[in-house]
Amino acid sequence: MQEAELHDLSDDPDYVASQQQGSGGSENQKCTRKSNGPTEPNGSEVVYSKDNVAIHPTQYASERISGRLQLIKRDLSLFMTWIPYKQSASYGVGQGSRVKLPEKDRNLYTIRAVPLTDVRSIRRHTPTLGWQYIIMVLTSGLAFPPLYFYNGGVREFLATLKQHVFLVRSADDANVFLVNDLQDPLQRSLSSLELPRAVPVANVASSSSSLASVHSDDNSNQRSNADYHDSSFSPTESVGRHRQKVRDPARDLSIQVLEKFSLVTKFARETTSHLLRESQIFDNIGGYEKQQQVHSSPVKNQVGGDPVSQELQDKNQIISDPLEKIACRNGKLCEAAATLVGTFELIDSKEAEQQSLVWGKPRLPPLGHEEWATFLDEEGRIVDSKALRKRIFYGGVEHGLRKEVWKFLLGYNEFHSTYAEREFLETMKRSEYETIKHQWQSISPAQARRFAKFKERKSLIEKDVVRTDRSIPFYDGDENPNVGLLRDILLTFSFYNFDLGYCQGMSDLLSPILFVMEDESEAFWCFVSLMERLGPNFNRDQNGMHSQLLALSKLVEFLDSPLHCYLRQADCLNFFFCFRWILIQFKREFVYEKTMRLWEVLWTHYLSEHFHLYMCVAILKKHRKKIIEERMDFDTLLKFINELSCHITLEATLKDAEALCIIAGENKAACIPPGTPPSLPVEGGLLE
Amino acid sequence: MSYAYLFKYIIIGDTGVGKSCLLLQFTDKRFQPVHDLTIGVEFGARMITIDNKPIKLQIWDTAGQESFRSITRSYYRGAAGALLVYDITRRETFNHLASWLEDARQHANANMTIMLIGNKCDLAHRRAVSTEEGEQFAKEHGLIFMEASAKTAQNVEEAFISTAATIYKKIQDGVFDVSNESYGIKVGYGGIPGPSGGRDGSVTQGGGCCS
Ligand SMILES: Nc1nc2c(ncn2[C@@H]2O[C@H](COP(=O)(O)OP(=O)(O)OP(=O)(O)O)[C@@H](O)[C@H]2O)c(=O)[nH]1
Ligand SMILES: [Mg+2]
Repeated sequence: MQEAELHDLSDDPDYVASQQQGSGGSENQKCTRKSNGPTEPNGSEVVYSKDNVAIHPTQYASERISGRLQLIKRDLSLFMTWIPYKQSASYGVGQGSRVKLPEKDRNLYTIRAVPLTDVRSIRRHTPTLGWQYIIMVLTSGLAFPPLYFYNGGVREFLATLKQHVFLVRSADDANVFLVNDLQDPLQRSLSSLELPRAVPVANVASSSSSLASVHSDDNSNQRSNADYHDSSFSPTESVGRHRQKVRDPARDLSIQVLEKFSLVTKFARETTSHLLRESQIFDNIGGYEKQQQVHSSPVKNQVGGDPVSQELQDKNQIISDPLEKIACRNGKLCEAAATLVGTFELIDSKEAEQQSLVWGKPRLPPLGHEEWATFLDEEGRIVDSKALRKRIFYGGVEHGLRKEVWKFLLGYNEFHSTYAEREFLETMKRSEYETIKHQWQSISPAQARRFAKFKERKSLIEKDVVRTDRSIPFYDGDENPNVGLLRDILLTFSFYNFDLGYCQGMSDLLSPILFVMEDESEAFWCFVSLMERLGPNFNRDQNGMHSQLLALSKLVEFLDSPLHCYLRQADCLNFFFCFRWILIQFKREFVYEKTMRLWEVLWTHYLSEHFHLYMCVAILKKHRKKIIEERMDFDTLLKFINELSCHITLEATLKDAEALCIIAGENKAACIPPGTPPSLPVEGGLLE
Repeated sequence: MSYAYLFKYIIIGDTGVGKSCLLLQFTDKRFQPVHDLTIGVEFGARMITIDNKPIKLQIWDTAGQESFRSITRSYYRGAAGALLVYDITRRETFNHLASWLEDARQHANANMTIMLIGNKCDLAHRRAVSTEEGEQFAKEHGLIFMEASAKTAQNVEEAFISTAATIYKKIQDGVFDVSNESYGIKVGYGGIPGPSGGRDGSVTQGGGCCS
């Protein structure tokens, strides 16, 4: 390995100095205030934290914005954040700058968890007079405004970075550091331009623009999260691979975008356009490389097997499967889809832009308090709810924030409400809850004797709450008051929505909500909001479930036709084996914490209101090979699916589902008719 | 793990009668009163020996709730045996037996052996259905009958095993075409006695042995 060489910054006087002074590591421990111990509860680790790092939006000293720069490591991915200080907060802003920009403008500059794989280069400026600063250029061609290190520390920053990503000094400019670069000088240049051939032996997770080789790292990354179903084919890999054949649209767009990007400063623009100029020069070589890539064997360094040949094998097995041929009445359709590659290519070129934005995007660390604050204006409104939903879709929410954030996601609080409005609402709702609760509490024993429906409901609920999540500490033990709260809320709900009443599965949905809210009334109203969408799952005639199972069948037909063909042949097209997944949103398939993570992602409704169905497709697709090869019949398949419980890797499945959702594109509408839960019921629609 | 035969069982009956507890008592020999309620279906398996033959029971524990029936019915297909369970302390669970039976007759195969179980017989002081009534119902409908307790394990072993013995006898009597899997019976290869007792989750994972 030439790794030592790769990492070698010994020709950099600053780096040498920092080494002599003590390693970057010990230095950053000094700066790391926030992280309590090396690892935060959600698996993120702050590896570098620097206060008083500022952005100068204008030349006016009064408008400078100070903040905290951090490098956060999660799984094997490294992210950078820069969060401006709250204006009101009495942080040592330093340099006596009095900040006048309105809060929302300040937040414009916030850097929210950028994966280092998205960073192309860092230019360091160390003027003899004035502050040191750096400019980061992203692979998309965008650049962040200069980050001024008021208290110094650029070299520690680079040294820390060096420990986590490949950082190589540019041959052309000693102050430019290329991130994730390669050993070979030609490739190094290519890499710096992020041409499709060039993404290399990075020890970080893949980014939107990285290729197959990085997926292998990504895989091992997921595997370290204790997944052992992971080595099989995943759609992400396939598509990631095929992106090689198209131009990187992000690069094509970058110049245009740059013009519009008001935050790009003069310095950044210089750096970027310099790199872009180079990119023109290397374009031809890049094109040649790309061709080579298509014909020659796939990228080396595959840890988890070679996805290309695996896919080919996969394909061959399916095509040469005699059962398949018999099974498929609609042969044409099957053939088209068996050529998964073809399907992907087609969509790839059509929607290349969309994909490049999302594909293989590493999951972000969960949304934390500081970042959450940036989404709120002074009065507590969420200014850009879409951005928030997107952020949560990609990373979820830290547990401590769930109580606040879930109320928005579930629709109990409106995004545009103010602190004051929410406080008022809470008071109102609290008394409204008490009123409804009183309706059943006031039923006397004599009255109850003549109220069979009530008695029946009450005893059913009572039987079920004692059989709900009792292994979770929050609900365990005899006479646990929280079990009583589950009962009261469900009974109250069955009066609030008397027609729907109570049905098994509801306690599973309520349990995490109460656990998060730790408040009876709030848990009730959040549950009410959730049931606005999921109520049809519990209709007596099961029509809500049937419409989702039908939609799932159509999605599988479109997204994994070989599997669909097999299921038809095996008489499994009712998809009843996915019943539990859908009824309670995978509650029984993941451990508690992961269920909560999944739910908040689903509730963003960011890419689709039916993201849970793409989750289903992603899981089935992952096991398709086994299902078909072992000729699973209905019973065997049902048992197999049941036993996947707690063996599904959430993050990987989310990524796959995301990919599938994008592939489905416009066909979504054809597969999923309006009003299919959890969509809100359509006016005078099918399901009411 | 080899077996002479594999029998598929279903456990049906109203919610809360103790189906999951019976299964757990049979496969794991323990009683867990706070076990999660069943959504859809759950599985258990155990080896038993009848006539010196190792027989594997693959047991499907279905959800009892009424509104899930349209889906849980699909799990009946191809079961060789059924345990139809009611709760002796709750009269209504006994009253619903006829509708369960009708469901089973409609969606399972006609030769399915059905065992009626009056569960929770440890709660004799709260009894709401007499033993005679249970016996009478069983007799009328041609079922085998036992009162049992998932809590004390009374008759649990017996219920599962005597159902298997009945099925086995039907095989000996030539009632089934055992090569037709819709009867819920699979013929194993080898017939060497395997380890008995304990849960066996390896059927689908291991594959091969039973196809
Ligand atoms: N005393 C006593 N209690 C029992 C016995 N069997 C089950 N129970 C109790 O009855 C409750 C319901 O038992 P389950 O096995 O969960 O009922 P089920 O039939 O599987 O119900 P569903 O899954 O909802 O269809 C449990 O909480 C047990 O505490 C028994 O033999 N004796
Ligand atoms: Mg059960």
